[in-house]
Amino acid sequence: MEYLGQYKAVYKAKAGCEDILSKAQDGGIVTAMFAYALETGIIDGAIVAGPGEEAYKPEPMIATTVDELLAARGTKYSISPNMALIKEATRSYGLDKIGIVGTPCQIQAVRKAQLYPIGMRDVPDKIALALGIFCMENFPYQGLYQMVEDHCATKIDNVTKMDIGKGKFSVYTERGVNAQIPLKVTHKYEQPGCHVCLDYVANLADISTGSVGTPDGWSTVFVRSAAGEAAFNKAVDAGWIIAESMDGVKPGLELVTKLATEKITKNQKYIEHRAHAEHEALKPLRNPYI
Amino acid sequence: MSKVVEISPTTRHEGHSKLVLKVNDEGIIERGDWLSITPVRGVEKLAIGKTYEQVPKIASRVCGICPIAHTLAATEAMEASMGVEIPDDAYLLRIILQCANRLHSHALHDILALPDMYLPGTDSKINPFSPEEPVRSVAKRIQTLRMIGQTIGEIAGGEAVHPSNPRVGGMYKNITPRARTKIYDLAKQALPLAREQMEFMIAVFENYAKRDWAEMCGREVAIPKDLGFHQQGYMATDPCYGSSSLDEHPTWDPARWLEVRPWDWYMGEEEITLEDPAYPVGGTTKAGGKAWPQMQACTGVPLYDGQPVEVGPRARLAMYRNYDRKGAIGLNIAREMEYMDSVYKMIEAADALNTSGSVVADVIPQGDGTIGWAANEAPRGADVHLAKVRNGKVEWFSMLVPTTWNFPTCSRALTGAPWELAEVIVRAYDPCVSCATHMIVLDEDNRLVAQKLLE
Repeated sequence: MEYLGQYKAVYKAKAGCEDILSKAQDGGIVTAMFAYALETGIIDGAIVAGPGEEAYKPEPMIATTVDELLAARGTKYSISPNMALIKEATRSYGLDKIGIVGTPCQIQAVRKAQLYPIGMRDVPDKIALALGIFCMENFPYQGLYQMVEDHCATKIDNVTKMDIGKGKFSVYTERGVNAQIPLKVTHKYEQPGCHVCLDYVANLADISTGSVGTPDGWSTVFVRSAAGEAAFNKAVDAGWIIAESMDGVKPGLELVTKLATEKITKNQKYIEHRAHAEHEALKPLRNPYI
Repeated sequence: MSKVVEISPTTRHEGHSKLVLKVNDEGIIERGDWLSITPVRGVEKLAIGKTYEQVPKIASRVCGICPIAHTLAATEAMEASMGVEIPDDAYLLRIILQCANRLHSHALHDILALPDMYLPGTDSKINPFSPEEPVRSVAKRIQTLRMIGQTIGEIAGGEAVHPSNPRVGGMYKNITPRARTKIYDLAKQALPLAREQMEFMIAVFENYAKRDWAEMCGREVAIPKDLGFHQQGYMATDPCYGSSSLDEHPTWDPARWLEVRPWDWYMGEEEITLEDPAYPVGGTTKAGGKAWPQMQACTGVPLYDGQPVEVGPRARLAMYRNYDRKGAIGLNIAREMEYMDSVYKMIEAADALNTSGSVVADVIPQGDGTIGWAANEAPRGADVHLAKVRNGKVEWFSMLVPTTWNFPTCSRALTGAPWELAEVIVRAYDPCVSCATHMIVLDEDNRLVAQKLLE
């Protein structure tokens, strides 16, 4: 539990709808949950990482239709500042019940804005559903571009899917070309800010989901809050999501826990390293957790 | 033998001010000075050299009750100087924002004005914080109206306090169809509430006008029939929105404006000779103290045709609707009469708004130092900002804020009232003293240079 946050239940799950699954990264949980929540009025809009001007450069957008949600499917391994729209969603978009998806740090931002709304008037009571995605680290767009174009020798515009798993960064194209590089090669492109992050499975979300732990085409889902539980159970009952027990699923929670422990231990160590004067800077570096 | 009594600070209005009152033996004001003692923050001076985008956002921070007025007047003064014509849909969003703010501001003022008033037909004053009926439901209605005003302002303007959406050239964002529907629904919800509130408040003010006395300092103070009358005339630029030097027929004339120092208009040094520890709550200034309105007043004194004028709801109604009721109660009633217009106007503007229309001008020239002005009819009256922009930077900036106009006018209106009721007259102007306090610009001979700039 320690490394996976508080949760009420954990499932192996996927969307019940083929349209959603066709281009989903894994089980299509985020798209299916938001689509169900939009259709049933749990939310009236969702902040998602939509397609940007360049291939795989995400652009935060507010989806108020299922079509717009579908356009945002698939992981883009680059920064999408979803929180930038959180206030605007309550303003010119006129939303009352906001859905937002984000990496662990973005869900932290949502919760912080709810408890300590600094310049965030009207935001705290308008968050209806916060979906978190597992995240080991992220890349600036320039880094991702170099990983794909140089290391994988693939034109980024041709890429249909990217995936990090089993120790590899994999790139797929329409013609089936599949380039893979070891993760070791990608480390230098990581966003430095990710190295102080102590959250792997979006501990603060209503529902968090990710690929690790379940077979391809399925997602691991943690149902955490009361709001998350109510929405998830209804989505399952309505057939939008197929959920099965995690019992006996391979590699299961064992692998999730292992990766979470690795991330947190490594980053905790880095935070401590920053606090010491032998760090290359003359003074200890700031620690946002204290 | 006249005596001098000082009420400092005054209360139940925005900002920091005081009343220095010369009264006769019956306690009737012979000459009253109401003056700002809010520290000058000098927005006009520090604006010089900053970009035209920054200055309206800074000017907004002059006041948190009517930031919309300063944001819009300053933005439009820049636009007037630079010659920028904004798209229709941006203008409609600004009108919605303007009306939403007026709705909220007038409702807020009801809370401030009610404690002076009596429940009609009784001798009990109204405490808006009382959990008792009928006051409780009035307070709830006021808060609902304010919530609606602030929410609509937030949607159209980006933020209820210090709106983020206006920019030089229009607005940053148009709103979505869903947001427009929300504005429409909220305005529809406000309509019956605004009508009830207006009728309730008018009944309360009419009742006060019919009363012979009001309880103050534990005694019955006679209410004169001419409470708050003055002969200064009115100035308004529009019933709802405003005017600017870009208009084909501007409704404000800078040539008729002149600004003088408090020195020319206020009383000299006076010793306080009358005190009343029973004045609620905490008494008046102790006898023996000194007051020097000429030196202490923190505002300039703007004149129109050489005289102070009244601005605000009554000025708008007098100039555009032939309203002729005078005095403090007449002014309060005029304010209430603006409720319906502000709600209907935003419904009309929301109807006319094209949510896919462009809201920013295609071309924004950077300015050649031409003087431009814009008047915004703030909740408290005409808020005129003047600016010169050259190459994207503000070269000169001046704000003539409603309560600045009203300070000397209201001071004159105090004459003839019992001093205990002076604050009732002041409150009728819904003063916004932070708004009023700004820099005055003197030349070597200590004369104001503002008018020279226009020549």
